[in-house]
Amino acid sequence: MYRQDGHDIFVIDGHMHCWDANPENWKSKYGESWIRCFFAYHSALSPAEAVWPFEKFCRYGDETLVDDLFRTGYVDMAILNSTYLYEFYNNGFNSHIQNNVVKAKYPERFLLCGSFDPRDEEAGIEAFQRMMADYPIQGLKLYTAEWRNGSRGWRLNDPWAYKYLELAQAAGIKNIHVHKGPTVYPLSADAFDVHDVDYAATDFPELNFIVEHVGLPRLDDFCWIAAQESNVYAGLSVAMAFVHLRPRYFGEIIANLLFWLGPDKLCFGSDYAIWSPKWLIEKFMAFELPDDLKQEYHADLTLETKRKILGENTARLYGIDIEAQLAKLQRDGIAIGG
Amino acid sequence: MRGNIECDFPVDFDTTVILGQLAQVLDPELDESIVDLGFVRSVRLHSDHADVTLQLPTSWCAVNFAYLMAEDVRHALLKVEGVRHATIRLGDHCAAREIEAAVNNGQSFAEAFPEEGAGSLAALRLTFLRKGFFIRQERLLRELRVAGCAPPVICALRLGEISIEDDLTMIRQPGAAPQKGGRAATLRCYLQRRAELGLDCCDDAQLIIDFEGKPFSADRLQAHYEAARTMRVALEANGSFCRALVSLRHFFDASSSRQKPEERETCTVRTDTISS
Repeated sequence: MYRQDGHDIFVIDGHMHCWDANPENWKSKYGESWIRCFFAYHSALSPAEAVWPFEKFCRYGDETLVDDLFRTGYVDMAILNSTYLYEFYNNGFNSHIQNNVVKAKYPERFLLCGSFDPRDEEAGIEAFQRMMADYPIQGLKLYTAEWRNGSRGWRLNDPWAYKYLELAQAAGIKNIHVHKGPTVYPLSADAFDVHDVDYAATDFPELNFIVEHVGLPRLDDFCWIAAQESNVYAGLSVAMAFVHLRPRYFGEIIANLLFWLGPDKLCFGSDYAIWSPKWLIEKFMAFELPDDLKQEYHADLTLETKRKILGENTARLYGIDIEAQLAKLQRDGIAIGG
Repeated sequence: MRGNIECDFPVDFDTTVILGQLAQVLDPELDESIVDLGFVRSVRLHSDHADVTLQLPTSWCAVNFAYLMAEDVRHALLKVEGVRHATIRLGDHCAAREIEAAVNNGQSFAEAFPEEGAGSLAALRLTFLRKGFFIRQERLLRELRVAGCAPPVICALRLGEISIEDDLTMIRQPGAAPQKGGRAATLRCYLQRRAELGLDCCDDAQLIIDFEGKPFSADRLQAHYEAARTMRVALEANGSFCRALVSLRHFFDASSSRQKPEERETCTVRTDTISS
């Protein structure tokens, strides 16, 4: 909960991780270079006082995470965006199995995302069904650029992807988080491309597609799609981090998103532990859209809009009644603001 | 960023020639010089052999674009008088070995990475040349709007009616007083890409056209401008992200520096292109 001028703002961190990138878990040289790349993002865009030692960044553990999000970081609930990377990490980077450990400790605090890989085809169906039956999966996080046995990625509109989406929908899943952003080894297949979201969003109108990192570096392509598809949302992680080092670009990105998508489709995410919600939220709440951008885009980042971005939009997607949820959270042992 | 390039040249060699050639090489996606972006780590010349090390923002930067930049650097070096051999290195890039082996032997991307499909790389390059065209055009449009040109005037304007005088452009249309347009550099950048795309650059051609050479009607111009504006923001934001990452790498390498990374990087927002 963030409090400003007597207003309480409910915060859902729509994109965060509880990863294990300890050297013992590195399966190949890519395990190391992956986490070093994340660490570069962290070091380059965080305020100096928020930069961690590399060792802590590799494995920070559940309690550090709970402190950084819920005790000092103003976050009320958080979405665990499972990322597997079994080609890089022996036990995975942060699979739903790993993520469920902290979810089980604080069940009301977390929404857990599972995943599928359509390249498993028929052979993966049973495991996918079992994952949804055995774990409290409330959304999916899909990573179309993930390496697999020589393949460098897949697309949301592949026939097998549609089969899995149908199964997810039948199991009651509503929200599909799609990683479209700075990515792994994109070759000429251009894994940055966001157009596959357009097909899936049209063909699955009952599902919501939250495009993580707003398609950066393809913000423009993302905006055209999201402006046309009522069920495509903007996940703001990575874009959020510009608020500190590059506030002008942050303003321009937000102005464009408000211009094309409006205030009801933008969802806050920190990408913790790459960046921490405490400084992101403090700087976001202090940020005002410059006057020239307000005029040019006919948009504003009002307190009401900030409130939507920080929590209300994601709460709506996941059917969370904020008042009822707050009552539950007060009983779960994490002292808010304590 | 030029100041960060480690140079090693024969004493009598004019370094500006090589650095000038390298500055012509663009990041295909960011549409900016790799020298200005800070991607050139070192340049060495021993007799007729040039050796350039690139440092991209992360070891995961797109292999196809890394390949294109390395290849373009090699071609740029071989154009310099006195340079007969060129070796390009990619530092700790995840595909450094494959790319270096291919580029330094004059292999094409298709030969080096047959499984990746060459056709899509050419198409991707064209996509980004066109995006760059619209982004350069957006900066021009922005300046024309600031100068007070209304949409019908902008749409009617022909290349022969806009000229460069010192650092500025001047617009001379029949029956109207001459007026200032904007910065000469903005127009030059736009016209350069327009020519690269093979679009009509005759005096009689309209100034503002799409990538097929068709002019815009005044009522379509606003929508076109809004789209190009989003492309420009995406590109400049990505460029600033890449700059922050690459400057951090220079910082970690320069162990003698005591400054914090965010203080060290001096690039600021390009207010010249974004203030309205």
